[in-house]
Amino acid sequence: MSGLAARKAWNLAAMALASLCALAGLLLLATILRDVLAEGLGSLRLRLFTQDPAPPNMAGAGGLRSAFLGQGLLTLAASAMGVPIGVLGGTYLAEYGRDSRICRLISTLSDMAVSIPSIVIGTFAYAILVKPMGGFNGWAGAVALAIIILPIIVRTTEEMMTMVPWALREAAFALGAPYCKVITSIVWRSAMSGIFTGILLAMARVAGETAPLLFTSFNSNFFRLDMSQAVPSLTVSIYQYAASPYEGWVGLAWAAAFVVTVLVLMLNILGRVVIRLRKRG
Amino acid sequence: MGDHLLVNGLDFFYGQTHALRAVTLPIRRNRITSLIGPSGCGKTTLLRCFNRMHDLYPNNRYRGEILMDGRDILGPAVDVIGLRNSMGMVFQKPTPFPMSVFDNVAYGLRLKRVRNAGVLRERVEKALRQAAVWDEVKDRLGQNAQGLSGGQQQRLVIARTLAVDPQVILFDESTSALDPISSKKIEELMTELKKEVTIIAVTHNMQQAARISDFTALMYLGSLVEYDETATIFTKPRNKLTEEYVTGRFG
Repeated sequence: MSGLAARKAWNLAAMALASLCALAGLLLLATILRDVLAEGLGSLRLRLFTQDPAPPNMAGAGGLRSAFLGQGLLTLAASAMGVPIGVLGGTYLAEYGRDSRICRLISTLSDMAVSIPSIVIGTFAYAILVKPMGGFNGWAGAVALAIIILPIIVRTTEEMMTMVPWALREAAFALGAPYCKVITSIVWRSAMSGIFTGILLAMARVAGETAPLLFTSFNSNFFRLDMSQAVPSLTVSIYQYAASPYEGWVGLAWAAAFVVTVLVLMLNILGRVVIRLRKRG
Repeated sequence: MGDHLLVNGLDFFYGQTHALRAVTLPIRRNRITSLIGPSGCGKTTLLRCFNRMHDLYPNNRYRGEILMDGRDILGPAVDVIGLRNSMGMVFQKPTPFPMSVFDNVAYGLRLKRVRNAGVLRERVEKALRQAAVWDEVKDRLGQNAQGLSGGQQQRLVIARTLAVDPQVILFDESTSALDPISSKKIEELMTELKKEVTIIAVTHNMQQAARISDFTALMYLGSLVEYDETATIFTKPRNKLTEEYVTGRFG
């Protein structure tokens, strides 16, 4: 076989293998989506959003209203903690501390923190906020989620701000602007849509988390949005309902899984739309 | 008339790198002084000493002095923000801020806490007229400045600089990223502006230096080679290196 023919054969083989692997991943995703869609849509009832959980023997009643609200509350509380700290931390890395050894270390550690299994973060929050407080509580869950989004927001903020050309900062300095003013009025403004996208994607990441909540805010069957108590959680409810022997509960779990998937998908799409709009200017 | 600025025995270091060597150079008031020389000769480094841009980065060091109306502007007690207010700078690529045309021009004024809407409007219009861009943007003052053409952006940046009434404007190859027609507009503008401000311009383009400047300084390897009236530099330079550079035999 000539060299060229061999190279062509190799190319073909490599391409076929890569395509096959891509197809396998896609097929898996399609199967999950198909199941969630088919089962979820079939069990979707309005009462899912309007009624609170009911005992399994009450056929045709009960929903997950409290769990939706609880999950939303936890995500918002986590964002309220994680977003300001993340954005300001990323700002420090990109501006005041840029190029210093400590900042490079923080960036690297943040990258590693992004891939810490969320259940590890859940058990950490359990150790510092559940055990000492004597029981499951919403704050512990919110803190666990905040710890997950923090490194994501730190890194996207840093990257988006680093992408703003230095000439723009210098132009503002040349007009006599102090550094804090340059950051708030020029750099943040230039990087705003990118930072916003990072926040959205981070929220999408934790909106569907279960593991960090299992040990922290756990779940509650009551309509109770008191953060010092166990807080109803959609994902933990799905976990419990799906594992239950009751047909009605399993159906609700499917429907809730469908809604969570759609919500997370929408957050992700929204984030990407913002990126595309930004690129178009 | 006379010297507005005097660079006096100036050395500059980027960390260990000795970038300017004993530069002594007068800058005449209400005149255009061009800094020319091959890449890496230190002309931009010198320009950025005037508004202390080097202060933004660690390990940069000045030695010597730059006198402005007799006062050293490199001293530690100098108010750098005030200095930069009186020393505008226009960069190579246009640097419109991500905000409206109006807000761009008003940026420096707002930094100086000018809040009155009427005053702001008046000063913005005056600056845009001075920068010969008013007619093109007067109907789109509320639009994002980054949507203007490159040439318009550069004149907008000049207007933004003029709005705070600087005494000196530093041009850092400010036409090299523009098309010939836009470049010509900026050149005409510079000639017009020297009635009110002193201009120092770094340029790679020798024809441009010959066209617009009253005085020209040639730099090489961080040192000043020759400084004189532009006509003299281009027709009967004293230094052989200058002659070779302006005739295009090196650089």
